[in-house]
Amino acid sequence: MKTMNWSILVGLATVLAAPPALAQDALKIGLTGALTGPVAGTYAPAVEGLRLYIDRLNKAGGVNGRQIELLLQDDASEPSRAAANAKRFLTQDGVVMLLNASLSSTYAPTIAEAKRAGVPLLFTAAACPPEVFPPADPNLFCTTAFGTEYDSRAALNFIKETAGTEVKIGFQAMAIPVSRGEIDYAENLAKGMGMTSVAKEITPPPAPDYSPFASNISSAGAEWVWSWAPWGSQIKTFEALRRLGWEGNYLAWAHLEAESELERVKDPGFYVLGANALFAEDLPVMQEITDAAQAAGAEYPANQMTEGWIAGMVIEAALASAEDPGSADSVREAMSGLSVDTKGLRGGSLEWTEENHFRTQQHYKVYRWNPESEGIETVSGWTTFDVE
Amino acid sequence: MSKPLPSASGHFRRSYADEFRLIETRLAKTSAAAFALVLLVFPFAVSPFYVDLATQVFLAAIGALALMLLTGIAGQISLGHAGLLAAGAFTTGILYKEFGAPFWVTLPSAALAGALLGVVFGLPSLRLRGLYLAVSTLALHFLVVYLGGEYETRRGFSTGILVDPPVVFGYEIYAPRVWYFVLLAAAALTLLICINLMRSRSGRAWRAIHSNETVAEALGIGIARYKLLAFVITSAITAMAGALFAYYRGFVSIEAFSLYLTIQYVAMIIIGGMGSLLGALLGALFVTLFPYVIEGAMAALPGADRLAGSVFAVNYAAFGIVMILFLVFEPQGLVGIWRRVRNYFLLWPFRQTALGERP
Amino acid sequence: MQLAVNILVLAAIYALIACGYVLIYRVSRVLNLAHGELMMLGAYMLVATASAFSMSPVMAVVIAALMSLAVGGMVYLFLMRRMTGEMVLAAVLTTVALGILIRGAVILIWSAQQYHPRAMLGWGNPVITLPGDARISLYAALLIMATVVVYGGLFLFLRFGRWGMRMRAAGQDPLLAAQRGINLHAVFALAWGLSTFTGALAGILIALDSGLDSTMVMIGLKAFPAALVGGLDSLAGALLGALIIAAAEVGVIRFIDPLLADVVPFIVLIAMLVIRPWGLFGTREELDRV
Repeated sequence: MKTMNWSILVGLATVLAAPPALAQDALKIGLTGALTGPVAGTYAPAVEGLRLYIDRLNKAGGVNGRQIELLLQDDASEPSRAAANAKRFLTQDGVVMLLNASLSSTYAPTIAEAKRAGVPLLFTAAACPPEVFPPADPNLFCTTAFGTEYDSRAALNFIKETAGTEVKIGFQAMAIPVSRGEIDYAENLAKGMGMTSVAKEITPPPAPDYSPFASNISSAGAEWVWSWAPWGSQIKTFEALRRLGWEGNYLAWAHLEAESELERVKDPGFYVLGANALFAEDLPVMQEITDAAQAAGAEYPANQMTEGWIAGMVIEAALASAEDPGSADSVREAMSGLSVDTKGLRGGSLEWTEENHFRTQQHYKVYRWNPESEGIETVSGWTTFDVE
Repeated sequence: MSKPLPSASGHFRRSYADEFRLIETRLAKTSAAAFALVLLVFPFAVSPFYVDLATQVFLAAIGALALMLLTGIAGQISLGHAGLLAAGAFTTGILYKEFGAPFWVTLPSAALAGALLGVVFGLPSLRLRGLYLAVSTLALHFLVVYLGGEYETRRGFSTGILVDPPVVFGYEIYAPRVWYFVLLAAAALTLLICINLMRSRSGRAWRAIHSNETVAEALGIGIARYKLLAFVITSAITAMAGALFAYYRGFVSIEAFSLYLTIQYVAMIIIGGMGSLLGALLGALFVTLFPYVIEGAMAALPGADRLAGSVFAVNYAAFGIVMILFLVFEPQGLVGIWRRVRNYFLLWPFRQTALGERP
Repeated sequence: MQLAVNILVLAAIYALIACGYVLIYRVSRVLNLAHGELMMLGAYMLVATASAFSMSPVMAVVIAALMSLAVGGMVYLFLMRRMTGEMVLAAVLTTVALGILIRGAVILIWSAQQYHPRAMLGWGNPVITLPGDARISLYAALLIMATVVVYGGLFLFLRFGRWGMRMRAAGQDPLLAAQRGINLHAVFALAWGLSTFTGALAGILIALDSGLDSTMVMIGLKAFPAALVGGLDSLAGALLGALIIAAAEVGVIRFIDPLLADVVPFIVLIAMLVIRPWGLFGTREELDRV
């Protein structure tokens, strides 16, 4: 025991004493993300996609001949860890761009740290914070598919087009502030559109049984349900509803897991709304992602990596168009006027302006399982919203 | 009662005044001075990242010292430590957001809120013991976190409450090195308070209650009063640590105060060594630095890229193993190891195993 | 009617988990705070056996449950045995540490992905319609039945079984029991094994019903108030406690505010600790023993 403790102390001393090895020319970007922990399933696949993209880019010669070094730190969605990670990247590694791929609770500390250090912060896997919408904070950017408020507008629009406004609608959220905020907004919007809101169920993060919540929605007679919450809570509420014999339609946000889950659930009344194209469309870029994932022996399925791949494209474009990619200020300047072709992964190219660091246009698609063709079908093609 | 000196040190107290001195021997004086010097020079010798680490250690040390008073000294188990930290942080955050209250208002208010909660947390201790007490404090933890979450959602601070750096006499506490010294001072002050509490009537009363409640009562110690006092003092200090956390990190959010945080603090006092203030400090150092050491060790291993995704899981598992190893093989914690090493050198070239101590 | 079914299902979940806390506490006075993690581990075992025994799904479930029985026994033999005779707090903290270890190991082995063991085994989850137009899924019904069987079995086992009698004896007075020639370590190991087995059974059935990821730990923690409200050393108490907590929770979701669902069990718990700390059926002297 004594020797073990000494070896820990010795190890500590070496770790503290040895400065990290510096690769001379590489451009460093640092990512703090929920790679493990209870919600990692939503973030880790995107991060893996991003890593595969950067690896591929480096093999092809990097950006203007310079390699990109993607530094990953896990924060397990804990704010304090995220703050420490950000501080480490900014003060020790000297990154030119900070990435956040974690739960919303980590935003406040990373935003604060990035602002102090004057390094642009890009949100790559979780809901975009309000600061990236116009008028945007000059230092914050977001590539993620989620667009708070726009998501609910698109969802209710879709329900209106499918079922009219004479519809009883139920809502589902999870007991985390972001989800509750969005669903509260959606409920008000629905009332404004003349729909009848009959139930709003907010489920705790892990519920042993979702039936009590589902019973409320079912017995209130909801014909449609709009759910904007982490995937587990969306799908479990839906499955509990079906078990109760509910026959309505359920519209959920298309998280990374959406595609494999549509194939698993196989229910034509279960719709997903999202801003990323699903792999069922089999575009050439999707084949590229699949190949890269296969070659690397990836831990997560390729169809969950879209978000990370898009982030990779944007990072490449930003570094390539920066005058001096080694300077954070120059990178930020390049990011403030950027247009990236998403090759069909999104409904159009992703554009940032001085004012708008979310994107100038947000496109939505709705998918569901078609039992006749035994496959995923597009219910509603790209619907475009201007972001103002 | 002052701390006992090892009998073989050759130093004996010869007057009552000796009993009251904080630093007794010349060796202690020199080493304390050298240690203080190292602490003063440290932030100027290393990168800001290590300054941040050291600052985290100081912050943890304040909480660990407080918990040591309650659990290690007075023998009252609490699993509500993260709840208390959250209470302090939220008091600060709410006062700052709603009223723009400055540093010198929020900090005492946090302490006051902590003290009040201490009474609430402490009341069950009058009736309950051991596990039941632990569970009731755990329940209160959930209550505090729920209230904090409600505040965040209702007021629309869904990604946490941002708190600006405090301003003291027109000077903004903001740079890492400034924070280093602020928290070093706070930790040193807490240590001094704890040492003096231990040497005073209440410290003796707590130890008596810890050893045997019935005997303590027979000796004329007001059990209820001193138990509550332990809870109040611990909670006030812990809530202050929470307030300092809010200012240091620049934000407050419920997710930062999970049950795991409580477990980490409990681990600090176990790994450090129950019943010893030095143990609390060593434990805070160990538990705070442990994940970084594991990360460093894993980065040094070949194939680090592939492992990047599992660092945290490895950390978790390793932390569990270390805790188990300490509980099973070294119940006296780091302080036990430290004492053995010290005695080894003090007694050298002789070997001695004290009565009641494991060989 | 649906309300009653919902309460019953939730109560069965809590009861099946809570009996694990009770078994260990009753025999060895140790509160096993790693129970939620052990339960999750049992469910993940099913994921492992489901891919290994894809030919015979029933075998996969049986082997997973038996493996958790063995895991529980081993936890005692290799870890908790060393903590006998130490402070109770130290033993409890050891279980906390064990829990942290298991959480880390589970993510290392299975990652944070969501699993659907039922789909892996190729089973459906048909819905049964009960009189009064209440509905219940097959696995929820199985869960209620499992709870009934487990509690019935445990009552009989503790009452009439040779080892059950030994377990009761060890719980009442370890010293006396040991002097009568009862192998205490074997009894404790059996208690740990049984407790993990029942926990894993709950975990497996929940995973079969609605999927599995690492948040299952929290469910284990939520069942804890049920055990305490009923009295930590009483099986009948755990059953009643589970029913009370489940009724309170479902009632609050239905009639007051779903948001409170997470806090209600702990509010009931605090109320209980204030009024009757030792629980509904608990033994009063326990309080001074700790």
